[in-house]
Amino acid sequence: MTAVTQPSEVDGKKVGPAVRISDLTVAYRTPAGELPAVSRINLELAPGSITGLVGESGSGKSTMALAMLNAVQKPGRITDGSIEIDGLGDVVSLAGKRLREARGGEIGYVFQAAQNSLNPLKTVGKQLLDLARSHHVEDKRALVRQAKELLSRMGLSGDRVLDSYQHELSGGMRQRVGIMLALVLNAHLLVLDEPTTALDMISQSNILSIIRDVHAERGLTTLVVTHDIGVVAEVADRVAVMYGGRLVEQGPTTEVLKDPKHPYTRGLINAIPRLTGDPEVAQPLPGRPPTLGTIPKQGCVFRERCARYAADPREDCETTDPVASEITPGRLVACHPVAAGLPVEVSVEEGR
Amino acid sequence: MSESTVDDVVSAAGDGIRGRGIVKTFKARGNVLAGSTVQALRGVDFHIPPGGAASFIGESGCGKTTLGRILAGLEDYDAGTLSVNGVDLTSLSRRKRDPYFRRIQMIHQDPYSALNPTRTVDAILTDPLTLRARQTGRPKSWIAKRQREVLSLVGLEPDYVLSRYPHQLSGGMRQRVVIARALTVDPEALVADEAVSMIDVSLRLGILRLLRELRETVGVSVLFITHDVATARYIGADGDLYVIYRGQIIERGPTETIIANPVHPYTQCLLSAIPVLHGLEVPGADRLTPTEPLADTQSDAGCLFAARCPFATDRCRTERPDLAHHGDPEQLHACFYPEQRRVVAVSA
Repeated sequence: MTAVTQPSEVDGKKVGPAVRISDLTVAYRTPAGELPAVSRINLELAPGSITGLVGESGSGKSTMALAMLNAVQKPGRITDGSIEIDGLGDVVSLAGKRLREARGGEIGYVFQAAQNSLNPLKTVGKQLLDLARSHHVEDKRALVRQAKELLSRMGLSGDRVLDSYQHELSGGMRQRVGIMLALVLNAHLLVLDEPTTALDMISQSNILSIIRDVHAERGLTTLVVTHDIGVVAEVADRVAVMYGGRLVEQGPTTEVLKDPKHPYTRGLINAIPRLTGDPEVAQPLPGRPPTLGTIPKQGCVFRERCARYAADPREDCETTDPVASEITPGRLVACHPVAAGLPVEVSVEEGR
Repeated sequence: MSESTVDDVVSAAGDGIRGRGIVKTFKARGNVLAGSTVQALRGVDFHIPPGGAASFIGESGCGKTTLGRILAGLEDYDAGTLSVNGVDLTSLSRRKRDPYFRRIQMIHQDPYSALNPTRTVDAILTDPLTLRARQTGRPKSWIAKRQREVLSLVGLEPDYVLSRYPHQLSGGMRQRVVIARALTVDPEALVADEAVSMIDVSLRLGILRLLRELRETVGVSVLFITHDVATARYIGADGDLYVIYRGQIIERGPTETIIANPVHPYTQCLLSAIPVLHGLEVPGADRLTPTEPLADTQSDAGCLFAARCPFATDRCRTERPDLAHHGDPEQLHACFYPEQRRVVAVSA
């Protein structure tokens, strides 16, 4: 259909396009001036990978996800940087008709809380035809067939779902409808914003396995945006952690979970209650996540909640915003003490 | 009978909250579905000791929220008995029952909509405290003092929050205000329905810890309703875990026992669905998934879980197993073929 990005073949498997996000900055105009919600983000999505973007409310992760579609709403705008997608070019420089076609065409997007993003007045089938009209699909029958195939692949009855209104579907079903609508035009880059929020554990686990399978079968490059490290742990090959509009750590999921370097990543993983072992191991993070207005203007954005900074305040943490440095291949961390080769362990223990 | 003497009676006995055979059926209204019914609760027994904890876990639509609403007096039940410290509420008139229900306070999932956005924290706490002062014959000066007390109890700085509106507070702080408001009436129990699912991950544990501490500091008991077993374990490792499916308790026992040794396939599916922190944990060897999603068309005959159970037999499809001890004094389950399976992820 409309997609120009094509999956390439690696070792006989289909994989999606590579995505390079460079120096991406998104700012919102506020009474206090233009404030950056996303600051100079550099992130590469390897072809065919699933990347998990983790952050709390106000970390800029949803803004970042919208930027992937060049769909940041006023009063926000992308002030700097580029998002290069193989076969499509720089999304930031796209506009008008070409941009509208890329959205949904090459880039599939599953909105946060799919329950609120479906039109309550139209059946799913009608919304599918809307998509066909906006993207000038000639063969509507083929599109419906493709939609039914996708739905049945996800364990739903295509006929029934296309004839349903959103209120007739459960949360997990709506989420799957969202994934269908994102992929039905053959997108090869899939962005999912909080795909499992508001779902119970069994539906969540079901949706996550669907994401994994569909990703592999259709040859996608996938970005999963979530606040839940557990979700990332289940689906993502790589994880990128956001805090206060910065990317503070990224690397292969298992490595980051096993040995988190940035004090924030460490604190976040430590704050998850677990099913085995001593429940007291879980420790809450002090303080609260910053909002757009309270992100520190100078120095490290995390230092006010940082156990390491509390134990050993360094001057550079106060004056300079740390840039991400590669500590081992593929592992990037934006933290002054880590860059200086100091152990992270000690201070976190002290902070407990 | 004045309100204060009711309070004295409520506090006197000390059996906690006990439900026996609670049944709730919803009847659908309207043209299309008229006459069809949904069995939200099918004879549920439970007990929450004073200052204790009980957790209800299950999927969406399994009846756990209905149970919480019944406990808080927001919903009537059709059959069964509910007693608070030995007083059977079922036989009381609504007017006599209300003071008991008032002492079971609900903590809602969404602190953003549970607080009136046009009122400051001060106003939010003053109203219930004014009522409380009138009921118990306390002077007006007590209100401001008590306001500060409850805020300190939930870990908030009174000088910082009192003059603020809900939108000026973070999700975690808002949920603390909701808990402080519940504490103004000296509750016997808090019903926390998914109380942390909308809170930021880094703040979630703080709220869970607070609920746990309140059990000790003010002796309030906590009924924790969730689909996340790990949070239930954090709040009430010493309490009982109830696994509820389509309105029936299908497994019950001390929280740690059930997590370590679940025998009902549904409990095992729930525990299997918890994300594995790859790198830190390895998945359980016998991880289970239901064969089908939950659907309202699934049969009421036999075991309620039979349609989705990987191990269901003809017997399961025709005969319903009851919740019983089956030899183990602590753990109860409702399954003809209980079996231990390693479903919980273990540390790598």
